[in-house]
Amino acid sequence: MKKVFPALILLFVSTLHLAAQTDWIRTGTGLGVEKIRIAVPDFKSLSSDPQAAGLLKVFNDTLWNDLDNAGIFDLVSKSFYPLDVPGQPQDVKFDAWGNPPPNAGMLVFGNLNVTGQNLTVQGWLYDIKNTSSPQILGKQYNDQATPEAARVIAHKFANEIIFRLGGGINGIAESKIAYVSNRTGHKEIWMMDYDGANQHQLTHSGSISLSPRIAPDGTRVAYSAIAGGNWEIQMYSLDLNRNVSFPRFGGTNLSPSWSADGTKIAFSSSRSGDPEIYIVDSTGHALKRITAAKGPDVSPTWNPKTNAQIAWVSGRTGLPQIYTMESDGTNVQRMTDQGYAVSPAWAPNGQFLAFAWIRRYGPGAPGAQDIYVMDITTKQFVQLTHDAGRNDFPAWSPDSRHLVFQSNRTGTDQIWTMLADGSNQKQLTTSGQNSQPNWSFK
Amino acid sequence: MAANADIFTEREPLGFPLVSSIAVHVLLFASILVYSFVAGRPGQNWGTGGGGDAMGVTITSTIPLPRPPVETTNILANDSKGLTQSQPKVEEVQPPPDAIPIPDRNVKPKPKPREKPRETAQEKPKPVEEVNNVVPFGQGGPVSGPYGSFSAGGAKGGFGFNGGGDFGSRFSWYVRVVQQKVSENWLKYEVDPRISAANRVYVTFDISRNGQPRNIQVEQSSGVPSLDQSAVRALQRIDTFGPLPPDYAGNQVSVEFWFDYKR
Repeated sequence: MKKVFPALILLFVSTLHLAAQTDWIRTGTGLGVEKIRIAVPDFKSLSSDPQAAGLLKVFNDTLWNDLDNAGIFDLVSKSFYPLDVPGQPQDVKFDAWGNPPPNAGMLVFGNLNVTGQNLTVQGWLYDIKNTSSPQILGKQYNDQATPEAARVIAHKFANEIIFRLGGGINGIAESKIAYVSNRTGHKEIWMMDYDGANQHQLTHSGSISLSPRIAPDGTRVAYSAIAGGNWEIQMYSLDLNRNVSFPRFGGTNLSPSWSADGTKIAFSSSRSGDPEIYIVDSTGHALKRITAAKGPDVSPTWNPKTNAQIAWVSGRTGLPQIYTMESDGTNVQRMTDQGYAVSPAWAPNGQFLAFAWIRRYGPGAPGAQDIYVMDITTKQFVQLTHDAGRNDFPAWSPDSRHLVFQSNRTGTDQIWTMLADGSNQKQLTTSGQNSQPNWSFK
Repeated sequence: MAANADIFTEREPLGFPLVSSIAVHVLLFASILVYSFVAGRPGQNWGTGGGGDAMGVTITSTIPLPRPPVETTNILANDSKGLTQSQPKVEEVQPPPDAIPIPDRNVKPKPKPREKPRETAQEKPKPVEEVNNVVPFGQGGPVSGPYGSFSAGGAKGGFGFNGGGDFGSRFSWYVRVVQQKVSENWLKYEVDPRISAANRVYVTFDISRNGQPRNIQVEQSSGVPSLDQSAVRALQRIDTFGPLPPDYAGNQVSVEFWFDYKR
């Protein structure tokens, strides 16, 4: 008995151990999640090198714009900032930033140093409300001391912040927009950074080039141009800075569209007489036709999430309407019910279609063309532009939070961006006529 | 007496029942031990605080962006002090009259360590009398007034989990990301349109190291099957919340998420 008793006690005590090894979070809906209030004071310069001031301004402006454009932050206005700005973690005064007037939830700060030809940037992201362990990010970047490098570092740092605080979705600060511009006298394909910087020309064909589409891996741009008297699909290589060969199909071939895995291209071709949707692989072979209805079928766009569905414009009932189908041509569904709907673009999260729509089309109707976003499962739609010229060719950003489109509200066609709820509309281009934008996949 | 005593002279065999009793008890404890390892959960602490003072915002999820707040109070025009106390003014430390002046090159800096403890003792803030609902200075946690970066609801004064580890207090920004993503992906139109209000449905899931939600289960049903299904589908729609913070040592976090449906 004496031996058994302590054994029993031991058994009893050991059962008191609770097996909950994981930490728990308890939270729920209806708690009013608003945009994160983030304060982004200018970074400090640690060097007295004269070019440091210029680089610092480029860096600060780029970082501010990237975070402002992200769509998930509410940037605290600079007029609320306390006078002494931190450059190192030990300079941070939590109460000065966390209390009103700034009342920030997050703080981004750091410093920039130029030594000879080298630029070093240190940046931190702090959770101001958490005084015991505030650091969320602490990064250091090294590069050459040029404005382009300062811009790239700012983009990278902004992307890190957006990735952390935006729920694992990559930021778009390093993405690109391809578009058509006629500022050289001909419509050529151009490319720029997502914020309108670094606008440069890609093609030099001397004729007309339209509807550029950047490949998912970012190495090529497919577009349609006149070649040998026909409209054909052409492929421009960004690595080689010239066109690479792509098969010719005959007829009028327009609006190429890449699947998100980069293996297939859908486009519209009238080689059989009536424009239909065709699919080829990324080298232009294995041609397959997937629509067969009378009436033009143009402007295909893939579902980037599943790579198994295509939305396109069909005139089979008269005026152009948006349809969706599986990529083998089955299960055709009509999405719009009236008016004149063109230029569908499928959101990267697979849930929405953006397109241009004239809801009341015909003689005597107001006829404004606006960008709409439609939820695919419910067909509920939201109008994003109002009373502002003709808006067309929407394209989604890779984070599904932004749209780029063309608008002639200033008198000429220009490229604009906005958030996917229609707010924050900004003009990106100013010279010449710029149209048909396309956002890169990453 | 002798007859009564006779009954008790017959000794009952004690050996076998005692052994079998011990065996049963050992078996019982062993099964409790095994059970607590296999299906251990912390206790049922439902609804700590409830949604009493949380803002009832109906979150529609047509666009994947955070909604702007329904009400905006003008920060400048509002003369309320807010919920947090202002920092008590730190008195300027006058150097004591016998302070040793800034040492010359030739003088050794010996007195420095002696002055330090005096300075820190004087910098400790003096206690200020507290107003009733004011959060004590330095203990505010992530919540601060109507325009705070996010309202935790439920537990006032931050994330006070009972026995849930300290993930919520260390990484409140991550909890906020989880909350926002689930709220964005919850499509209320999936719920039966005849329902106008329902009980809360509690769903539990784990977040693995790379941010993927796993093991989605309805912990406590709301009684409306379409609401339970829409809650589960909201979580299934999410690919990732973003990787768990690199500072966090664990491999996964468990989340208990409630859905309040109000049409």
